[in-house]
Amino acid sequence: MARISTTNQYTSRIANGMVCHVCREGFDRDEPILNSQGEAYHDDCLVCAQCFRPFPEGTYYEFEGRKYCEYDFQVLYAPCCAKCKEFIVGRVIKAMNTSWHPDHFQCELCGRVLSDIGFMRNQGRALCHPCNERVKAEAAGKYICYRCKAIIDDKPLKYKNEPYHPYHFNCSNPECGRELDSDAREIREELYCLRCHDKMGIPICGACRRPVEDRVVTALGKHWHVEHFVCAKCEKPFLGTKHFEKKGLAYCELHYHQLFGNIDFVSGEVIEDICVTALNKTWKPENFVCWCCETPLDERSKFLEMDMLPVCKKCYERFPGELRRRLTRHYESAQRIRPLAAESSVAQISAEEHEFHAACFPRICRP
Amino acid sequence: MAAKVHKVIQDAQNGKRDVDLVERTITSFNEIPQILSMVHITRLNLAHNRLKSVPPAIGDLVNLESLNLYNNQIEELPTSLSGLQRLRILKLGLNRLWTLPRGFGAFPVLEILDLTYNNLNERGLPGNFFMIQTLRALYLGDNDFEVLPADIGNLQALQVLVLRDNDLTSLPREIGRLKQLRELHIEGNRLQVLPPEVGQLDIIGPRQLFRLEDNPWISPIIEQLQIDTTHLMDLLKSSNYMSMYSRHLQSGPAIPPMVRDKNRKVSRRKD
Repeated sequence: MARISTTNQYTSRIANGMVCHVCREGFDRDEPILNSQGEAYHDDCLVCAQCFRPFPEGTYYEFEGRKYCEYDFQVLYAPCCAKCKEFIVGRVIKAMNTSWHPDHFQCELCGRVLSDIGFMRNQGRALCHPCNERVKAEAAGKYICYRCKAIIDDKPLKYKNEPYHPYHFNCSNPECGRELDSDAREIREELYCLRCHDKMGIPICGACRRPVEDRVVTALGKHWHVEHFVCAKCEKPFLGTKHFEKKGLAYCELHYHQLFGNIDFVSGEVIEDICVTALNKTWKPENFVCWCCETPLDERSKFLEMDMLPVCKKCYERFPGELRRRLTRHYESAQRIRPLAAESSVAQISAEEHEFHAACFPRICRP
Repeated sequence: MAAKVHKVIQDAQNGKRDVDLVERTITSFNEIPQILSMVHITRLNLAHNRLKSVPPAIGDLVNLESLNLYNNQIEELPTSLSGLQRLRILKLGLNRLWTLPRGFGAFPVLEILDLTYNNLNERGLPGNFFMIQTLRALYLGDNDFEVLPADIGNLQALQVLVLRDNDLTSLPREIGRLKQLRELHIEGNRLQVLPPEVGQLDIIGPRQLFRLEDNPWISPIIEQLQIDTTHLMDLLKSSNYMSMYSRHLQSGPAIPPMVRDKNRKVSRRKD
């Protein structure tokens, strides 16, 4: 160990017969004698073993019988802090194969001073216990309990978006109070066991199967989150607008009509009122007109079909004869391949030329 | 008769937006020059007249939504026609068109285009014809197409496609891209096989239609047709048909001859 000493100076007149502790020679008259810990020294013999200069203010450090000035002693023997790189005087923390000032030995992740609380070595880093647990849990894909900071080995219970060991909580229903498991549910910032939760009658969303706590939409015999009640075709939420139900599914107005029919062939618009069904298409009554002269037609009008379009008898008779004959021939070929359905459902529209499949015959539907 | 025409024009001048001049023996727009300055009209019906041409000034009727020129004797259309920004319905059936003007596909909102019974074929279409993205129904029956251009697949809104009584010897596989198609009419052509992609189309059902009579189909197609079109669609979807189809194309089949004399068509007349 180093020993810090100071020297006293006095003159040899008083100390006769003394010898220098270094050179073993006597002192001249009036020569200054240095005294250190009972030993006498010549002025130029009491010097630093490293730099051979006198000690500033007479202070030196002794180590293994040799004396050093403060600077050289520190250079040679004092520990150096791994964090600040300064010499350490006083308490030294030896850890992680190096030395530290007590205040400089910190957790590498959170910066807590580790000197008095102990530490864990993790992949060459000194970590506090909580950080070490967290790092281990992250590596194993597990959660850390927000309350006890330990790894959650089983399923965590999420409460206010933080994971917990379920056993830290009890059911909020005063008549139950049982310790919770991960199936517990949060309702208005309180936790309930699944059984109590279900008994409280909170609606479950038909889409996401989670409780609906804000606005509830009730449709199709189910409850829904407002944002989860969407058109089965475009998946846009109705957000309170009109929807149409068909076979247990809900559709927006546009897609309901697109899928199940009532789009006017001429305008492409949705038919909200009276709808004419004819020629495999739907029509607004005012747009169900002869394709050529655009005279209005109704269920009593005589018209003929060309390319699944209605042509009034007058216009059809103006068509070139060879075109009319060709249309008739195609019609007969179609009939040879696919005969018309039973006679009762066949509507006789024009005696001379055509008959219609029941599906082609114009029908007027009033919603 | 002329008095009635005068009455219709007067009504239009007084603000009526619907102009109906069906069957008025009009031979030229020169007889009704006032019409071309009535910018407010939205519907113009000139079916069953004797018009031989349409003047470029038709492009000034910027509010026109529906133009019906059915059964005239029109041989040529002005390029200004496709500049009609609001035209949704254009009927040019039963005329004498051999070609369509340059840039005809530029209509911004055209939904229904009827070109039935003209003299059009694939060489008479302008380059941008299949760029009319809003087109819902295209009537090309009774024309002279031998090949349907593959660009037909660009018409993504198409619900009705009529190719009845043309001279088609094949259909492009791109027809399978028409996901909205509900009606397909290909009767009276020279088709022997269908591309397998037709099997993917939604054209069978009560609101759909698939007409394909009077073609020289290969016998497997005829056999399925005699049951019903659902069986035909099942055949088209089968891997068996896929190889049948490619074998047919590889064998370089003899192209069936034209079956009728088109020179008797009214649209061919020169008078």
